[in-house]
Amino acid sequence: MGTIAGAFAMSHVVFEPEKCPDKAARVWAGMREIARRIQALAPDLLVIATNDHLNNFTLALQAPFIVGVADEYTPLGDMGIPRTPFRGSREFADGFVRFAAGAGFDVARAEEIAPDHGFAFPNLLVNPGGRIPVLPFYINVANDIPPAPARVWSLGGVMRDFVARERAAAERVVVLGAGGLSHWLCEPEQGRVNEAFDRMVIGKIASGRAHELTSLTSEEIRREAGRSGLEVMHWIFAAATVPRARGEEIFYEPMPEWITGMGGIALTP
Amino acid sequence: MSVAPYRVHRLIQDLNRDPTLATTFVRDPEPLFQQYRLAENEQQLLREGTPRALMTLGVHPNLQMKFLRIRRAPGSGGPGPLASYLRDLQLEP
Repeated sequence: MGTIAGAFAMSHVVFEPEKCPDKAARVWAGMREIARRIQALAPDLLVIATNDHLNNFTLALQAPFIVGVADEYTPLGDMGIPRTPFRGSREFADGFVRFAAGAGFDVARAEEIAPDHGFAFPNLLVNPGGRIPVLPFYINVANDIPPAPARVWSLGGVMRDFVARERAAAERVVVLGAGGLSHWLCEPEQGRVNEAFDRMVIGKIASGRAHELTSLTSEEIRREAGRSGLEVMHWIFAAATVPRARGEEIFYEPMPEWITGMGGIALTP
Repeated sequence: MSVAPYRVHRLIQDLNRDPTLATTFVRDPEPLFQQYRLAENEQQLLREGTPRALMTLGVHPNLQMKFLRIRRAPGSGGPGPLASYLRDLQLEP
């Protein structure tokens, strides 16, 4: 059986530091600390749960869960991210899709993805040189009708079971949920940050009570954290791969200057 | 809050996917408004093209960002929000 060697979650982008240099420095230090911890775990494969921003998966066809199944990806290059190819794993991805199908989840397979910043930036940070093969795991929270937190939690459990039952004994997998926290991008409330909601999410996950977040509906998350705040689903997925694990807040900053609550946590299986 | 009809989203998605189409649109949007069968109020709000107009129309937030970028004059962008961080990672933007 393989092992989930660690689970982490953090916001998936940063912005210019000039408006808030102290907070920006703390966020960046926190992100680099998460990167350091992930690399120290020496994973054989990295699962990054995130969302596309209607670059690869548009409103033309809205699948709730999509994994990349290619052996190599080239980033889209938005936000100036270098278009340096990095490794995927068809063998792991297809194995997961088959396993999930047997567990009640029909996950879509994507052969062609040019990952935008939602995937490419955290990958650039935690996987320098693209040396660790990655599974791009998309939770399509940009959809008009996003998946429910309870389904996301269940699918995280399927990932945990897949690694435990189907993977080689020595294989070490690290899961990173990338995105969030609360933000109302291009909505009338833009600039608002719901610090209380963000801290509630961090607190529940860090104290081993992430499963309690499944009582929320996607509509409630949208109301409390903004449409873009639905990215907290990626945190729920990561936590579900190590259920009841406790962890620690690595950083949190409410940043209206970046129109976002910026956070990061590490969970110890 | 209103949600823009799919024909509006389809136009912006196509502009995002096709730089030649985006250039055509910036030069003269009227033929594309006709081609995508946009209603008069939809055309007017897209001509206006402000964040407020796009919100009024109910454009998806991610597509608002793309539309605003497409309408921006070429070359008006700076080095990008990640520039200093990429330098820190020794990855020049």
